[in-house]
Amino acid sequence: MQTLLDALFSPLWTPVLVGVLIGLLAFAQRWLADQPLSCSTGFANLAGRLKPGATRDSQDDWRIVFLLGILLGGVIAALTDGAPGWQGTAAEFGRFYSALVPDSTLGSAIWWLVGGLLIGLGARLAGGCTSGHTIAGVAMGAPASLVASAVFFAVAVGTAQLAAWMLGV
Amino acid sequence: MINRRNLLFLVFGTAFGFLLSRAGATSPAIISDLLLFEDLRLLWVIATAVAVGGALTWLAWRFGWRARNTGEPISIEHKPFKRGLIVGAVLFGLGWAATGVCPGTALAMIGEGKGFAVWVGAGILLGAGAGSWINRRLEKD
Repeated sequence: MQTLLDALFSPLWTPVLVGVLIGLLAFAQRWLADQPLSCSTGFANLAGRLKPGATRDSQDDWRIVFLLGILLGGVIAALTDGAPGWQGTAAEFGRFYSALVPDSTLGSAIWWLVGGLLIGLGARLAGGCTSGHTIAGVAMGAPASLVASAVFFAVAVGTAQLAAWMLGV
Repeated sequence: MINRRNLLFLVFGTAFGFLLSRAGATSPAIISDLLLFEDLRLLWVIATAVAVGGALTWLAWRFGWRARNTGEPISIEHKPFKRGLIVGAVLFGLGWAATGVCPGTALAMIGEGKGFAVWVGAGILLGAGAGSWINRRLEKD
């Protein structure tokens, strides 16, 4: 399984190396800009600006620029990994998501959209996501971030394991 | 608007998106391996990032390292226990399991040309807008 995944999604870097780099990067934001890693707040700001009649606060532009950067980073990563582009095959999604997500175009679009809604809504109600709460917040020893991260993982793992068992995959 | 802060965060974002991709965090198959405990590589990525961040936070606090932009000691901000924290974290966990995506990786996936992530990203945007509205209502009570 591991060699198969490596072949499909190469090149993946050694987990510890990527982890160290992400940890250093997240700290560099605090050192250079005194601003912890944050993703979901940027989505909320962007949503607020897209609303008709919204006023724009240029003080928060950097949050949206950061999101744009993540997208650009994905472009660069895909162009430089020497692997064929994404085709959306069952092998690329893995057997769990291939079995879980509806097959029809409309059904899968609704599935992804509703899943995204839960993610966005949940992150705002919790006050952060895997970036703000888990990577940044837990590193700063914030009790609320520890609780939020524990719930993120417990619910995601529990749901996935239950779904895998029900689907028989 | 082009200014120093925005350029800096463009670089931070680009590096973060690139690293999320190299970590394997933008692959639904690898996310499901994590959630089903079949391959824990992403757990090691997250654990190492948090450990490095924790050690640097301690050093910054112990030796009073200053932020370059403010000249003041680097802030150690603790996010508050919000009223919606548990409910929100549960919803987030459900969405994460259902899609194998989180807000940061959604954007990197779109950049990589993973079409389905556009739907997830649109959902996150709508959900985040709705969540902000609910947060404002909760604060008013």
